[in-house]
Amino acid sequence: MKLDELTKGVFKYNPVFYLVLGLCPLLAVSTRVDNALGMSLGVLFVLVGSNVIISVIKQWIPPEVRIPCFIVVIASFVTIVDLFMHGYAPELHARLGIYVPLIVVNCIIFARAEAFASKNPVSHSLLDGIGMGIGFMFAIVGIASVREVLSTGKMTIFGYTLIPQFTQSPAMVMLLPPGAFLTIASIMALINYKKTMKKEKE
Amino acid sequence: MSELKRILSISIPLILICIISGATLALSFDLTKERIREVEERKITESLASIFPDASFRKTGEYYTVLVNGEEIGYAFLAEGQGYSGTIKTMVGLYQNGTLSHIYVVSQLETPGLGTRIIEPEFTNQFSGKRIEDLRLRREGGLIDSITGATISSRAITEIVRTRAEVIRNET
Repeated sequence: MKLDELTKGVFKYNPVFYLVLGLCPLLAVSTRVDNALGMSLGVLFVLVGSNVIISVIKQWIPPEVRIPCFIVVIASFVTIVDLFMHGYAPELHARLGIYVPLIVVNCIIFARAEAFASKNPVSHSLLDGIGMGIGFMFAIVGIASVREVLSTGKMTIFGYTLIPQFTQSPAMVMLLPPGAFLTIASIMALINYKKTMKKEKE
Repeated sequence: MSELKRILSISIPLILICIISGATLALSFDLTKERIREVEERKITESLASIFPDASFRKTGEYYTVLVNGEEIGYAFLAEGQGYSGTIKTMVGLYQNGTLSHIYVVSQLETPGLGTRIIEPEFTNQFSGKRIEDLRLRREGGLIDSITGATISSRAITEIVRTRAEVIRNET
């Protein structure tokens, strides 16, 4: 079933919570929801682009040099994102800083090229890319919402206040890397707890 | 001969992929070049306008001479240096008598929520009207209050501004 290729990345094989990939940008960029959204849009574009291209050219790639080939394709998409973001979303580009070019080494993208796109037809790879991209977006935006609310005591997305200031002494630790680990761990624990409960019922 | 064939069959696809990628990148670079230049220029103009409103600027080497009604009143220049994490780049306005007009942080990569508070007016307004010599943290004999929890970032930007201001003062 084709639709599975799309939904598996969002839920069943979520790149962050199930495959535990791409944690570096996840830790660094999940301090604010709008940064997280911008970052995940970039990742989504690169993931879909590289998955499709690699799937198209897979029969011409000699297995000995497949890794350099994948990296060249991925790096090109990342540079395109970097250039256009710099020109058309300069504020976001300034806030994400080095993490835009670092999408190159986001292991979700490479893992999908190696494990999926180089073995599956184009249409499946497209759906896989979209699904994994959305899965990453869910994860990073979810984590960013928890961290932003707890660490600043409010939530603003692109200038719109969603949650007004409710405390003057927010938990600063949530802004720092430990806060990201705590959030990821708590969400994972919750997911695993749900899974175990489900299994026990069966 | 068969060895050569094997090498070619491996390298040619990779070379082709690189050529196509290179061409695509050249194209996107060309498409965005103008736009990026505008964005970067706007950043500079905005920062100049925020430290010396209603003035005009004349680029003189590494700094800008600030003119109000045709008269030189001071200088504006970029100061750059290492912060707590990454480079801090800030526009600095200096009056001719050696006091600061304003600073405006152009780019920084400090810790969100802690170090990034160096861009907030509560911190940057402290620089206005200070003499270059007084640009040190209070605990180091200066007149700048550091941000709680971000002493390193506060010290970094203060040092960056002071060192560059001293250089510019000696040049002018």
